[in-house]
Amino acid sequence: MLKREKKEEKKKGGLSALKGLLYGMAVHGSVTAFLRTRMYMEHLFMLMTLGDMLGFPIIPPYYSLRLLPYAVPNIKSWKTRLFRERDFTDLLTQ
Amino acid sequence: MVDVLQTPSLWVVIGLIAYGIAYFVYSKWVDEKIWEVSAERTTPAHMYLDGVEFFPVSRWVLYGFQFKSIAALGPILGPFIGLTYGWLPALIWIILGNMFIGWVQDYSSIMITVRNEGRSMGPLVYQYVGERPRTILLGYLLFYLLIISAVFIYLISVFWNVFPGTFLATLVIFISAIIIGAMIYRWQVNIYAVTTLAIVLVILAVAVGAYVPYPKKDFLDPMLGPGGTLLFWSIVLAVFLFFASIAPMPTFITPMNFISAFPAIFGVIIIILGALLTPLTGITLKHPTVASSDVLLGFTGPGPIFPILFVSIACGAISGWHSLVSTSTTGKQLDSELDARPVGAGAMLTEGLLALASLAAFMVVAPETIAALKGSKPAAFVTGATLLTSYLGGEALAAFWKSFFALFLVIYAFTVQTLVTRYWRVFSGELFTGGLSILGNKYVATVIGLIIPIIFALSGSWINLWIYFGGSNQLLAGLALFLVAIVVAKFKRPPYYALLPAIFMTIVTLFALIWETYDYIRRVSAYFAVLAATGDPSEAVKKLFARPPMTNNPPAALTVNIIFIIVGIILVVLGFLMAYYLATSYLRARGEE
Repeated sequence: MLKREKKEEKKKGGLSALKGLLYGMAVHGSVTAFLRTRMYMEHLFMLMTLGDMLGFPIIPPYYSLRLLPYAVPNIKSWKTRLFRERDFTDLLTQ
Repeated sequence: MVDVLQTPSLWVVIGLIAYGIAYFVYSKWVDEKIWEVSAERTTPAHMYLDGVEFFPVSRWVLYGFQFKSIAALGPILGPFIGLTYGWLPALIWIILGNMFIGWVQDYSSIMITVRNEGRSMGPLVYQYVGERPRTILLGYLLFYLLIISAVFIYLISVFWNVFPGTFLATLVIFISAIIIGAMIYRWQVNIYAVTTLAIVLVILAVAVGAYVPYPKKDFLDPMLGPGGTLLFWSIVLAVFLFFASIAPMPTFITPMNFISAFPAIFGVIIIILGALLTPLTGITLKHPTVASSDVLLGFTGPGPIFPILFVSIACGAISGWHSLVSTSTTGKQLDSELDARPVGAGAMLTEGLLALASLAAFMVVAPETIAALKGSKPAAFVTGATLLTSYLGGEALAAFWKSFFALFLVIYAFTVQTLVTRYWRVFSGELFTGGLSILGNKYVATVIGLIIPIIFALSGSWINLWIYFGGSNQLLAGLALFLVAIVVAKFKRPPYYALLPAIFMTIVTLFALIWETYDYIRRVSAYFAVLAATGDPSEAVKKLFARPPMTNNPPAALTVNIIFIIVGIILVVLGFLMAYYLATSYLRARGEE
């Protein structure tokens, strides 16, 4: 029983390795590119909704306040992404 | 059954064993003794996890990604120029280059990023070498991108011209990519169904290429003059690249990469299998083992074996492009330090396998056949690869496989070229600011990034352009290895495993670039000598590296040759400066011990 389970696990591991390999070759680069695109759109969204935090209100504060509860959980990671310095060699996959 | 020694199979097996030793013995030793990797040490993917640039990815996914990002036409067509010196020197360089230099650069580039908070090449140069070398690197990359683009634009145009039907096949792939892109991202169709459809569409594209062999080779030459068809295909390609570069990624580039991954992998597998099966299929070596001393010494052919062989077989043995990929993406997504070896060394050695497969395809083509193909490298590869895969259907399917391998070449070149054109655009946006900001404009930058390479591509000899490409690419690899040696020395570990290849690659590539520049200077001097003697520019232009339609306009041909001299001098000067800064930084790092 144990042997069979081990065999199945190995088979499963092999299959997931193959899946991962194909995914990496065909899709991973695209996924990374989409994530970056989403990141830039999020930058824009956060700047528009919470722009008055930085001193330039774009939409009326009423709507900013309505959106604030949804934006708060993302503020920390947004700041990390926004303020990270990017070099020209970081742009390779864009 | 034929004598195994007379087939490529034995040499492929020797290559596989050598790569096995490089992976299971040498890289393991470096991994454990030099870098002392540990699963306990947190990688930047975990440390700076943001779900966008930094996030841990499985080693299998990263291996596939790394291989697809580094594999292009270098390992496929480079061996053909290496073959000028006979197949044995080319084979030795592919095997030894991979064993001692190629994987060292890819793996170590990942490791320096992992150990330096996920920094990419630019910041690493800034941190360890200084601000000025980082600026030099930026200038160097600018020329490097133009030369890569020139080589690939020229090659794709040649493929479309030389193999009738390949353009139609490529067009089917383009349309399929747009449909597949919409199915995945807009309509969100099940991925297995989409994958099956993608494979069916690739087969359809190959069939179209095989059984609708139009437009014919040089079909526009009677109307536009010699070289007119090539110019036409270059412009068609530039239009495709322009839209691919400015359109959102999901519209074209990403589904194109998705659809092209399948034939790209399949092609390598069937060539390697074909080479291993040659004792059974009876396909024997047809190419000379070593060329004559005249060729080896450079009296005829592309130049002396040292340094030209080492830059002509570029990515198949080592490539600077890999260090950019390794530091900009892969190093930031490594789940564990233990994955650096399978991803970095594993992907590079797999690319070495691709070079080995290409060499095997060339080895079975007789020099007379190559002469009948007018020395066309892509045609020689397609002929050899079709021959090696004759075990899959024989004569009945020969046209199909010929179309498949022609499309295989286009796919490898096109997927990389779309990224290079896009990178040029983004890069220009970053670089040109202030008064020059118009050059950084999305449309202007893309047009510039296409027109200059087209002029380069249509001007001179392909081999010389390839050597410029190989030289700048390999030099970047040498510089990356120097950077690795500096980082390793700073960590107080023995740096020689990277330092010796760094010195070798830097010397050999600087020599190659000097040789090529000298070759252009020689041609331009000969042009002026003939012009002074005869007063006939149309006679003098024959001395230049120029082909139709450029030969019809001697002043333009002369200008482009002079531009190539300037490009060569700039590459050599920037290379020397970088090597100087890196060497002094290395000595400083050793002095700190």
